[in-house]
Amino acid sequence: MTLETSPEVESRVVDKQLALVSVEDVTKHFPIGAGLLGGGSAVRAVDGVSFEVRAGETLGLVGESGCGKSTLGRVIAQLHPATSGKVIFQGQDLVPMRGEKLRRMRQELQMIFQDPYASLNPRMTVGEIIGEPLKNFGLARGKERSNRVHEVMRTCGLNPNFLNRYPHEFSGGQRQRIGIARALVLNPTFIVADEPISALDVSIQAQIVNLMEDLQNRFKLTYLFIAHDLSVVRHLSDRVAVMYLGKIMEIADSHSIYENPLHPYTKALLSSIPIPDPDLEAKRQPILLQGEIPSPVNPPSGCRFHTRCPIAQFPICSEQVPPLESKVDGHLAACHFAGQL
Amino acid sequence: MATAPSDYVFQDEFTADSTYEVGEAVSLWKDAWRRLTSNYFALFGLAVIVLLLLVAIVSQFWTPYPTWKQGIGPTYGGPSAAHPFGLDQVGRDILSRLMGGAAIALAVGLGTALLSSVIGIALGLLAGFYRGWVDTMISLLINVWYGIPDLLVVMLFVVIINSRELKWIIVAISITAWLNMARLVRGQTLALREREFVEAARSIGTRDVGLLTRHILPNALGPIIVQATYLIPAAILFEAFLSFLGLGAPPPEPSWGAMCAEGYKSLQLAAHVTLVPAFALAITLIALNAFGDGLRDALDPRMRR
Ligand SMILES: Nc1ncnc2c1ncn2[C@@H]1O[C@H](COP(=O)(O)OP(=O)(O)OP(=O)(O)O)[C@@H](O)[C@H]1O
Ligand code: SF4
Ligand SMILES: [Mg+2]
Repeated sequence: MTLETSPEVESRVVDKQLALVSVEDVTKHFPIGAGLLGGGSAVRAVDGVSFEVRAGETLGLVGESGCGKSTLGRVIAQLHPATSGKVIFQGQDLVPMRGEKLRRMRQELQMIFQDPYASLNPRMTVGEIIGEPLKNFGLARGKERSNRVHEVMRTCGLNPNFLNRYPHEFSGGQRQRIGIARALVLNPTFIVADEPISALDVSIQAQIVNLMEDLQNRFKLTYLFIAHDLSVVRHLSDRVAVMYLGKIMEIADSHSIYENPLHPYTKALLSSIPIPDPDLEAKRQPILLQGEIPSPVNPPSGCRFHTRCPIAQFPICSEQVPPLESKVDGHLAACHFAGQL
Repeated sequence: MATAPSDYVFQDEFTADSTYEVGEAVSLWKDAWRRLTSNYFALFGLAVIVLLLLVAIVSQFWTPYPTWKQGIGPTYGGPSAAHPFGLDQVGRDILSRLMGGAAIALAVGLGTALLSSVIGIALGLLAGFYRGWVDTMISLLINVWYGIPDLLVVMLFVVIINSRELKWIIVAISITAWLNMARLVRGQTLALREREFVEAARSIGTRDVGLLTRHILPNALGPIIVQATYLIPAAILFEAFLSFLGLGAPPPEPSWGAMCAEGYKSLQLAAHVTLVPAFALAITLIALNAFGDGLRDALDPRMRR
């Protein structure tokens, strides 16, 4: 029996209205200089985020470097404990789970990492790396395990003859395939992919994206796909969430985000993407954001974007936090003047 | 390609993609071996170690004369054809005793390196991995242990065990020698536990034991081997010192340290009785340290001073 005809995959629901993962008011603060006198401050990497990922969809998560995307991904994948909030997966809150219960849960919820060099153990062979998840859960032994590893390697475009090679003998693109195979071998439902292509050569990026799309169709996977740039996730996301300084600024289906962005930050990000059509490119007017991204240790009051927003109005923008709310049918934005730029 | 590509298509892609990177890097160990064998001082060390090992093994089956047998020839007899290194204060053959001493030195060196490494690695892994109160306790133990003189620990141990058998001497030296290994492994573990492949291993449901044995330990092996190599000469020297003081393996065991001590009283009369084992000890220590340095440089060129 192959993986895609297994009962787990057969019974998997693809219903893009149904929440598979619900993130509820999640925060992740990294304490700094804590200890002495108690009153240490913290990096507020993720600061009150709520959204859902729907069964079978790809949700793109986009934002500039340092805005907390990886941290959010790791909190959802339970690699960092959340400071507060809930991550509800298949009806259960993962945040308070510990030990064996959490370990069991990991079968369903996998992660693909940004750096295909750092995320593979240099002392293990490819076969050992891809077989390890099976070993951890006692899922297949001996011949059966190696058959599964072979199958998954082929599925991910890796030559099974190279089972006994070490990661350093492969190129970046192939290493990323190894990372994908490792995540896939457990037959998970949900995969957090943290910038899976940004470390790769441009020529290889499309191959990896195609592979991930193919796998999604065959195994009815749900993705949270993290990228730092809206153009990367454009054609593979069903919906897109835009993050700034630890908060979600806008979330909507891809079409609405790209055609009708409501948040000035999204608009600025979009305007900075070059357009392949030379006529349109000539007319493109990039909205240049002034200033640096503020520190997540001390984020601006009110709307976090007010220090750089071209349409900010005072004092409202610096005093009142704009809630992330529906502006037009299911298109959520966190801005007092959404759609006015 | 976008519509359900077959496995075959991916295989093609694979071969196309793989052409430019095959043979990109030699394995780490092969590379280290190449660097080691181009270092003559380290090779000299290795040669002496191999010789020592052979002599030690041979001595278990054959020596020119029994190592314990007295009155084989004239007391304090000088070097001769029958006794290349002469005879000692009770007329024992020094060459035979030197050979037996090589076995003792190696047993002590390797035994101590192994046992103290096991202790140091285990405690270092636990402290570095679990941090928190586990680390606090282990670090406290290390710091307190550092403050207590090794000789005192060994003497107390020997008194408590009430035996000077070689295996107990090895245990006694080991419980003083694990501290540096524990510190090293703790530091390595603290750094390695933050690496992304360890996080990745956690995400695929690897238990703590697996994280420690499959992911952290193998990646700390280079520095551990180097540290263990330095433990060997240190233990040999310590055992020689103990025997010199009369605290080592009891007579008539031909420990080099004991041989030095016995000949020391008659240094002016018959210098060879002391000089021969002292020279053997010196050569052995130099060789082992040279090999250790070579290994360190070979395994981690960045550590070179
Ligand atoms: N373990 C940590 N300890 C302290 N601060 C951290 C830690 N991890 C991340 N941070 C901080 O949290 C903030 C968000 O980091 P994060 O890596 O999530 O950003 P990102 O959006 O993924 O950025 P990038 O595009 O560079 O990957 C940054 O300011 C970062 O310095
Ligand atoms: S709330 Fe104000 S500052 Fe924030 S994005 Fe909207 S207009 Fe700009
Ligand atoms: Mg990141």
